[in-house]
Amino acid sequence: LVDVEKNSLFASSFRGAHSRLTRTITQQRIRALVSAHQDRDMKKRDFCHLWITRINAIIRGVGVSYSYSRLIRNLYNKQLLLNHKILAQIIISNRNCLYMISNEIRK
Amino acid sequence: MAAQAAATTFNGNLKKALAGLRRINLEGLRWRVFDAKGQVLGRLASQISTVIQGKDKPTYAPNRDDGDMCIVINAKDVCVTGRKLTDKVYYWHTGYVGHLKERSLKDQMAKDPTEVIRKAVLRMLPRNKLRDDRDRKLRIFADSEHPFGDRPLEPYMMPPRKVREMRPRVRRALIRAQKKAEEQEQGGSQRKGRKREAKTEVAA
Repeated sequence: LVDVEKNSLFASSFRGAHSRLTRTITQQRIRALVSAHQDRDMKKRDFCHLWITRINAIIRGVGVSYSYSRLIRNLYNKQLLLNHKILAQIIISNRNCLYMISNEIRK
Repeated sequence: MAAQAAATTFNGNLKKALAGLRRINLEGLRWRVFDAKGQVLGRLASQISTVIQGKDKPTYAPNRDDGDMCIVINAKDVCVTGRKLTDKVYYWHTGYVGHLKERSLKDQMAKDPTEVIRKAVLRMLPRNKLRDDRDRKLRIFADSEHPFGDRPLEPYMMPPRKVREMRPRVRRALIRAQKKAEEQEQGGSQRKGRKREAKTEVAA
């Protein structure tokens, strides 16, 4: 493909003038790529946020005043290297496993 | 449906109670029952709001609504601390210039006790597009009857709470009130004689 065609192919699903006019196509392409670049990092943040919320949700059911923050503190004290993604997956698949881990850590 | 209609003792609110039930998609949800009798308003409302958002489930996702159906009973017995019964005022503006309306908690409880809890919970939910759907999942009843008797209901245990000990002034006022009540009973017994004494002894 010629470069011009590559350009307009990128923006072919955009709305209105953003897919039809050359100058706006180049501008919108640049903005889209910038957003994609930023959002690749934000995606990591968003998912971490989601896992933290899920872990918190289940951990609070364990006992009075036991929360995500205390769990993480205990994990760090025992030098356990489980990351949030794995913890969240453990919760969904096999909740008892997480209860066992948290009880072991608490001691 | 016939079983439900037979189970209710109040047919006036049946329509309101079953109002948007068809709109709520998933029926893999649990039905949790909150008993508001003797509970402090705000603390109860915050627990309800976490359940309604689905934040106690491991499959929580912020973009879809997966909270459980919440039924609150005994809404008229919900308590508040301090002087909020007279001093907490609900304000709203009608849009016309100078028309800021207000209503105190006492009047609101007299008018419609379910609105107190509903406002409290609604104002604790995040203000986004799911707020109205979450509102539809919340059913509040002033007394302890509700038309959902034939569903699999689960009562919700409130987490134990550290009640702070009473401030000295309040405690002194309470002691004074208790002493006054005892003196009144004793004073009444001295006037009327034996029957009242028997009653106070039984009570003590």
